[in-house]
Amino acid sequence: MEYTIDELMAVTMARLIKDGDVVFHGVASPLPMVASRLAKLTHAPNSVYFAGTGGAMNPTPPFLPTMTQDAVLFEGAEAILTVDYIFNLAARGEMDVMYFSGGQIDKYGNLNNSLIGGIDDIKVKLPGGAGGANLSCEVNKFIIWTTRHRKRVSSSGREIYTLVDKVDFITSTGFYQGGDSREKLGIHGGGPYKVVTELCVFGFDEKSKIMKLETVHPDVTVEDILENTMFTPVVPDEVGVTSHPTEEELEILRNEVDPTGIRKLEFPKDELKRKFEI
Amino acid sequence: MGVFPESDKKMSLEDAAKLVKDGDIIAFGGALSVREPIAFIRELIRQRVKDLHTVGTAHGFDIDLAVGGGIVKYVQNTYVGFEFDFGLAPNFRRAVEKGEVISKEDGCNSLIYGLRAAALGVPFLPHLNFETSDIMKLHPEFKKFKCPITGQTLIAIPALEPDVTVLHARIADKKGNTIISKPYVADILMARASKKVVVTAEKVVDRLDREPHIPYFEVTAVVEVPYGAHPTALYPDYTYDKDHMGEYVRLARDPDNFQQYLDKYVFGPKSHEEYLELIDIEKITNWKTW
Repeated sequence: MEYTIDELMAVTMARLIKDGDVVFHGVASPLPMVASRLAKLTHAPNSVYFAGTGGAMNPTPPFLPTMTQDAVLFEGAEAILTVDYIFNLAARGEMDVMYFSGGQIDKYGNLNNSLIGGIDDIKVKLPGGAGGANLSCEVNKFIIWTTRHRKRVSSSGREIYTLVDKVDFITSTGFYQGGDSREKLGIHGGGPYKVVTELCVFGFDEKSKIMKLETVHPDVTVEDILENTMFTPVVPDEVGVTSHPTEEELEILRNEVDPTGIRKLEFPKDELKRKFEI
Repeated sequence: MGVFPESDKKMSLEDAAKLVKDGDIIAFGGALSVREPIAFIRELIRQRVKDLHTVGTAHGFDIDLAVGGGIVKYVQNTYVGFEFDFGLAPNFRRAVEKGEVISKEDGCNSLIYGLRAAALGVPFLPHLNFETSDIMKLHPEFKKFKCPITGQTLIAIPALEPDVTVLHARIADKKGNTIISKPYVADILMARASKKVVVTAEKVVDRLDREPHIPYFEVTAVVEVPYGAHPTALYPDYTYDKDHMGEYVRLARDPDNFQQYLDKYVFGPKSHEEYLELIDIEKITNWKTW
């Protein structure tokens, strides 16, 4: 059975949810939306899914929308709660899993969703981190995802990385300056848990808190990771290959969770040409 | 919160917009693609209000239109964009990059704590520590302090009291009792935190026959504006107008072209009824049959 990178990422992200977890994602989050629903329909039926800031709890949408306040995402919800209810949950330490992405992601998992350049010299204004600044200091763990790990070349010939040594602006806090710097300041929550990209999966080194390569996707080498990452991640002697989705996961993903394919919207077109075989 | 005991607050869009003064802190209800008070924002642009300071969680069309219409100085929303429909908000991005508008980007929870402090009538609320976020640098008013009970570091979020909150509702009565529609987002909290509340509603009746989400005495003015959230949605009555938003974003990417949008949809129509003639109501109301 053939499958594509969007499906590998969605399944990989879904498998990070445990049965019974309280799960939340924010705005502009197609893959987290897909992963949260998929987990609930496969291995984590008792996970509690809050679908974006619209506050729908455990909805059963017939397909997933491109905007997180679309009524489709409220279909079949067991409750629709106000936005502050969800944030209270997180502040009390009862939100298990949250997903964040970023225009820049640094080696400690700090995320920039706010601006490229400096506060007094903004080159690019990004849309903003929404709940991230607070939630990253509250939720029990967060999963970072990006579909733009691969470095690009700007029109002026400069290399642009998403995975950078240092972000221009910390919107959401990862392991801050590494080591125990986050803990020492008394920041709540467990910080970043995994980083899932279109090339690989990282965890974090226990001591330094620098990203540590865990698995590469089936068509990717360790060299590819080093070339596309601005910093040097921790690379163990043995690096595994990301597990294939099962046929059952793929069928539920394609037919029940995301029949219109919003998961593909996050990817540059060329990435979607990558084919994998179970 | 203000207390407005009057029994008939129905007024025109023009008069209600005059309640907003230059430099006001203003909260728009709804979020992203849903239930934003867009007809009211068009009227603010026509009245050429200046230097507004917007506050709110994740928004999109409302803030970008207000910025493009030249009525905003500070944006304290936590996200401004069009998600995976159209991405970045063109007017907002351009104005911030040029320095014409100042981004005071906030986090959703710290923003909510500010509103909640205002609603509770306390000077601040303590928030769990997030001093590691550079969002703190955009908010010198957030103060780090030591908790007198536990000794842990907390952040004091000062009360954030909007001068005006503007909500678009499904139905209201002339006294101001208001029923919004799901998703509620932060509307009820915004109303409770604000000095004044303007409700624009699809329909204004003499007296509601149901319990309201927002009781009348919190409401300053009521305006009947059918399809007043267009091109954002008011579920279940109508969905968001994706084609219109697409046209908007395409034009807004270039400031000269954006003037065409303003001329056609903001300054062109002589009344809200004339505006409605420009849009495809059939398409947005029949969304359940798509």
